[in-house]
Amino acid sequence: MFVTVFALIIINKAGGLIYNRTFHEGGLHKISTNDYLVLAGTFHGVHAITARLNPLKPAATLNRTSTSSSTTTTAATGAGGGAPFARPDPPSGLEVLETENFRMQCFTTLTGIKFLLFTDTTQANVDLTTRRVYDLYTDYVMKNPFYQLEMPVRCDMFDRKLGSYIREINNR
Amino acid sequence: MVVYSFYIFDRHTECIYAKTWLPPTSSSESHAPGGPTTTLRPASADDAKLIFGTVFSLRNMVRKLGGDDDAFVSYRTAHYKLHFYETASSLRLVMLTDTATLSMRNVLHQIYINLWVEYVVKNPLSPVEHKGGVGVRNELFELGLDQFIGGLM
Repeated sequence: MFVTVFALIIINKAGGLIYNRTFHEGGLHKISTNDYLVLAGTFHGVHAITARLNPLKPAATLNRTSTSSSTTTTAATGAGGGAPFARPDPPSGLEVLETENFRMQCFTTLTGIKFLLFTDTTQANVDLTTRRVYDLYTDYVMKNPFYQLEMPVRCDMFDRKLGSYIREINNR
Repeated sequence: MVVYSFYIFDRHTECIYAKTWLPPTSSSESHAPGGPTTTLRPASADDAKLIFGTVFSLRNMVRKLGGDDDAFVSYRTAHYKLHFYETASSLRLVMLTDTATLSMRNVLHQIYINLWVEYVVKNPLSPVEHKGGVGVRNELFELGLDQFIGGLM
């Protein structure tokens, strides 16, 4: 399994590009920083639409009222019994995009920050890689006292750690 | 695998065919407490527009990043997967399935070759442009599509 990571993009919750780095030349076409900004904004909108397009709808409300009376007496031990108004799953937007030449994994944090990881088309645990990148982000960006929220990421430590982590993957 | 819906868009970006399939789970068991309570959301006319917008933006994004020869194939969310196939004449076929489905590119290609070309393009009574879906909603095409999708599920 040779996974090559081409690039990483981080988009803040407003759809602005806050980090953009290419790890492997030749994987993706070179586009200008302005185009990257446009791309980030476009993707942010598309991501919101894909969450709305879900053809399945979650449990209906009438279902909940009919079952709650019977479950409160019997299923008090279960997780569902304690919460008759169980919260539905949060809407999930695009997670993986596949094309002929590359594959894009999108990881959305609960706070709305999106990590887009561009890899080649062979699939092997890209999910884990995005989580690890998120770990690095929390460790070296969020804990940096000089970092301002929602602003472009300029942290040396993050750059270095991310660089060595991705190099390790690409040389495997 | 489950196919939720299927759309065809012509080169003028108009939706000329749309069809949705009901999920195989019967409605009686969805009322059982704790059972699977997912039902199909009623498809609206806006869905086709939203899908086209999504597919169009993603296709442009992919072309920008992957080069002009690159083609957008599919995307997946936690709840569904969308497959896309574009012919040389800019006819766009879109299919929504469940997440476990593998690539449906060849299936969409088969629909284009065996159904679209055979029953719509080769139909002498069918117009060249299918404004509002004229000429697409013919009996043979509908029947063939239903059988083809039924065979997959």
